[in-house]
Amino acid sequence: MNISASADVLLDVNDLVVHFPAGRRGMFGPPSKVHAVDGVSFRVRRGTTFGIVGESGSGKSTTAQAVMRLIPMTSGQIVFGGENIAEFRGEKLRLARSRFQIVFQDPFSALDPRRRAGDLIREPLDLLGIGSPREREVRVRQLLEEVGLPPQAANLFPHQFSGGQRQRLCIARAMAPEPDLIVCDEAVSALDVAIQAQILNLLKKLQRERGLTYIFISHDLGVIQHFCDEIAVMYLGRIVEQAPAQAFFSAPSHPYSWSLISAAAPPGPLRVRLKKDYLVKGDPPSPVDPLPGCRFVQRCPFAIARCRDELPVLNIQADEHFVACHRTGEINPPDFASL
Amino acid sequence: MPPVLSVKDLSVSMNGTKGMVPVLEHLSFDVAQGKTMALVGESGCGKSMTALAIMQLLPEDFRVTSGSILLDGVEVLSASPKELRSLRGNKMSMIFQEPMTALNPLYTVGNQIGEVLRQRRGLSRRDAHAQAIQFLKAVQIPAADKRVDAYPHQLSGGMRQRVMIAMALACKPKLLIADEPTTALDVTVQAQIFDLLSELQDDTDTAIVLITHDLGAVAELADDVAVLYAGRCIEQGAADEIIAHARHPYTRGLMACVPHLQLGRAIDHLAAALDEIPGMVPPLGARGPDCAFLPRCAFASEICRAQPQPPLDRINAGAAVSCWRHQEIAPGAMA
Amino acid sequence: MTTIKSTAVKPDTTMLPARAATSPIAAALRQFARSPAGVAGAVVLILIILATLLGPHLYGVDPLDIAGAPLTPPDADAWLGTDYLGRDILSGLLQGGRATLAVGGVAALITIVIGVTMGSLAGFFGGPIDTALVKVTEFFQILPPLLFAMVLVTLFGQSLVVVTLAIGVVSWPSAARLTRAEFLRLRNLDFVKASRAAGGGNGHLILRVVLPNALPPIIVSATLAIGVAILFEGGLSFLGLGDPNTMSWGLMLGQNRNYVLDAWWTVTFPGAAIFIAVLAISLIGDGINDAINPRLRKRG
Repeated sequence: MNISASADVLLDVNDLVVHFPAGRRGMFGPPSKVHAVDGVSFRVRRGTTFGIVGESGSGKSTTAQAVMRLIPMTSGQIVFGGENIAEFRGEKLRLARSRFQIVFQDPFSALDPRRRAGDLIREPLDLLGIGSPREREVRVRQLLEEVGLPPQAANLFPHQFSGGQRQRLCIARAMAPEPDLIVCDEAVSALDVAIQAQILNLLKKLQRERGLTYIFISHDLGVIQHFCDEIAVMYLGRIVEQAPAQAFFSAPSHPYSWSLISAAAPPGPLRVRLKKDYLVKGDPPSPVDPLPGCRFVQRCPFAIARCRDELPVLNIQADEHFVACHRTGEINPPDFASL
Repeated sequence: MPPVLSVKDLSVSMNGTKGMVPVLEHLSFDVAQGKTMALVGESGCGKSMTALAIMQLLPEDFRVTSGSILLDGVEVLSASPKELRSLRGNKMSMIFQEPMTALNPLYTVGNQIGEVLRQRRGLSRRDAHAQAIQFLKAVQIPAADKRVDAYPHQLSGGMRQRVMIAMALACKPKLLIADEPTTALDVTVQAQIFDLLSELQDDTDTAIVLITHDLGAVAELADDVAVLYAGRCIEQGAADEIIAHARHPYTRGLMACVPHLQLGRAIDHLAAALDEIPGMVPPLGARGPDCAFLPRCAFASEICRAQPQPPLDRINAGAAVSCWRHQEIAPGAMA
Repeated sequence: MTTIKSTAVKPDTTMLPARAATSPIAAALRQFARSPAGVAGAVVLILIILATLLGPHLYGVDPLDIAGAPLTPPDADAWLGTDYLGRDILSGLLQGGRATLAVGGVAALITIVIGVTMGSLAGFFGGPIDTALVKVTEFFQILPPLLFAMVLVTLFGQSLVVVTLAIGVVSWPSAARLTRAEFLRLRNLDFVKASRAAGGGNGHLILRVVLPNALPPIIVSATLAIGVAILFEGGLSFLGLGDPNTMSWGLMLGQNRNYVLDAWWTVTFPGAAIFIAVLAISLIGDGINDAINPRLRKRG
C-alpha cells in the first residue's frame, strides 16, 4: 500500500497485532487468544479524517487505543510523524502523548467525577508541563470558548453538565496540548441525534481551523460518510476493505461492506432490495482463536472452498481502493444506479 | 373494530423534592390490531415513561395523574394487582433495550420461555419445552433444538434479543411494547431484528408500540407515529405522512440532523455541515406553559412567545401538529 | 472557507447551573450530618476523647498509685471503686483511654497504609505483580490473627509499640483485598485512560486519579478498623499480652479478670468503655457509608 507523497502522511500503522489471553480450552488445553487486532496496516494523511467502521468485536476500538498506546500491543509499527512510537517507553512515551489525543464514547465515564471541569482540561497542560500556571488558566478559558462553553463552566463538576456538554469538555481536554492527531472512539455514538450533529459540526470546525487529523471510529455508516475522507471497514480484527470515501460509497467491493451498507441504507425500495440480496444473517462470530480462512466466511453468501482455507489479503482494486476478498471480480457488486 | 390499545389524555408526574413535576402531559393515541405505533424523541422526552405507564411498571416516585389506558376494552389504570398480572403476559408484554439484563442468567433460555408457557397456558414441562423450541424457530434462531438448552451468556446480543422476543410472544399477547429493541445491537443485527418483528407481526396480528429515537426505524416499521418533546406530543399522524411532510420544526430538525447514507452519488462532504438543533431538551421541572421547543426553535416568533404551548391541531386526516406557525412553515420544503 | 454555514460554534450554555456544586467532600459531610446514628457516634467519640485528654488533669488521681483498699466498691472517694491492688478505676479509665484509642488509631493507620499500598499496586498493575502481591496477602490472611499477634508480642516484647504494630500487621489483608477490588474496577474506566492519554504517569494515575475514587469504601473500612483494633488490644491484654507498664482499658480487664465474680466493678467499667467506644466508631462508620454511597450511584 503506497501513498505516493509520503511527506503528508502523519500516521503509518504497519501490521498492528493485539492479542489478549482468553484462558484455556478445557483444563489442560492450549491457551486461547482473542485476536482483537490481527495485522492491520493503514496510513493517515495530515489534515484528513480516517474512518474505521465495523461492528462489535471488529477490533476498531482496540486498534484506536493501541495506536494511542493506551493498551499493550503484541507487535507492529506505529510511525507517527516519522518516529515509531510503538518503541517509546516510560518518560519518552509520556511526553510524546501531547501530540496524539483521544475522545471516548461515553462522556459520563471519561471524566473523573471528583474533579472540576477546569482542572480536567488543565490536567494535560500540568502533566506535560506546557506553559506557566497563568498561561494554563488563560488556555483553559480559550478552550472552553472554542468548544462552546462559557468560562464559568470551569468551576463545575462533570455531573452538572449534560451529555453533549460533557463531550465538549472531553474535546476541549483533548485539544489542550495542541495535538496533531485526535482519535474519536465512537465519540458521538452515545449522544442523542440532535446533540450528535452539534458535536460533529464542532469537530469539523476544529479540523478546519487547526488542520487537525482525525481517526474517526464509528459503527454508523451515515456518520462515517458525512465525516471521513478515507474509510477502512474492519471485521474480526482485520481490515477487509479500504478506500477513499467517494470510491467506497460509489463502488463498495467487499461482501461485508455490502451488508453494512444494506443495513444502513435509507428507507425505500433500494433498501428493501439491498437487504434482500446483501444483508448477512446472524451475528459476528467470536474473535477467540479464529480459523485459518477468511474471517467473514461463516456469514458470507458468496463463500467458496478457497475462502475457508486461505486468509485473503488486501489487494489493490482501483486507485487507493483495497479489498481483501478472493472473489473480487467474480461476484456482482450492488448496483445503486438501477434503482 | 375497536383499537387494541387506546390511550387517552395520559399524564404522568414525578414526585420530586419540589413537589409533583410533570413528566408526560396529555398524550392520546390508539393502536389497532396488527398496526405499529412509534413513539419518537430524544432521551428525557417521556417515551419510556409512556411504555412503563401502559405496563403499570412505573418507578416508585412516578404516578399517573390523569387519563385512561384501555387495553382490549379493559381499563389498565384501575385494574387490581391480580388483574394486572394476568394482563401482563396474556394481553401485553414488553421487550427491553438490553437483552442481557432482562434474562435470568441462571436458567437456560428454554427454561425461561417454558416457564412463561407453564404459568400462563398451563402446559406440562414436556410440552412447554417442545413449544419453546417452536418459538425459538419462529424467531429464526438457528439450531433451535440445541440453543434451547443454552444459558443467556452463551448467546450473542442478537440471539438474546430474539429470545426476548420469543418470550414476549409466547402467550400470543394482543400488544407488544418494544422499548428501543435494537439500540444495543450491531447494525446488521438491528436490520434483522426489524425484519423479524414485522414478519412476526404479519403472522400474529399483534399491535406494537415501538419506542425509538431512530426515524429510520419508524419509516421501516411504523404505521403511525407520535413525536414527543419534553413530555408533550408535538406531532402525530400516519408515519408516511410525517416522514414525508413533517411540519413541526422539531421533527424536521430531528430528520435533518442525522447524516443519511448517500449511495452511488457524489457528495461534497467537506462543505456539508449538518443542520443542528441548538441546546438540549429542558430537564424535568424546567418546563413552563410556553411551547417547550421555543428556546431551540429557529422559527420562533412573537406569536409563539405570547401564547402557551399550542394544542395538537389536526391538519388533515393524516396528521396533527402542535405549532402556532405550522401553516407558515411549508411542509416538504426541507432538505 | 468562511462561507461555511456554522463556522462560529453555537455556544451550548443551555441549562448550565450558575454555581458549582459543593465539592464531593463537603457534600458527604453534609449528608453525614443528616444521619442521626452517625452524629450520635461522633458526639460520643468526641466526649470520650475529651475525657481521656482532660479527665486525668481534672480528676487528679494517678492511675498507678494505690488509692485505697484493694477491691473497694464504688463510693464517695473512688467513684468507680478500686482494683485488686487498690488503684482507682475511674482514673485508670481516663488515663487508659488514651493508650487504647491511640493503639486503635495507629494500628488502623498501619492496617490501611499497608493494605492500600499492597492493594493498589496489585490492582493497578495486574499481571505478575498482582499475582505476587496476592500470594503475600493470602499468606498473611490464612494465619489466625490472634495467634499470630500473640507470637509477635511474645517474640518482640510486651510494649505498646509492639502491640500496635502486631495488630496492624495481622489486620491489613482485608484492606488490601478491598483496595485491590476497587482498583481493578476503576483502572479500566475511560477517565483513567483519558488521564494516561493526557500524560499521566503511573504515580499520578494511582495517587491522583484512581485512589481518590477508590477512597469511599476504604474510609469506611478504616473507621471500622479502629474499632477492631481496640477490641484486638483488649483481647491481647485480657490474655496477659498487653503492655503492663501502660494503663489501658484492655490491661484493666486482663489484670482484674480473676475478680470478676467478687468485684464486678473492676471489669464492668473498662468493658463498658470499650463497648461504648467501639459502638460509637461503628456508628460513625455506618454514617460515613450512608453519606458516601448515594453519591456513587448518582450519575447526573
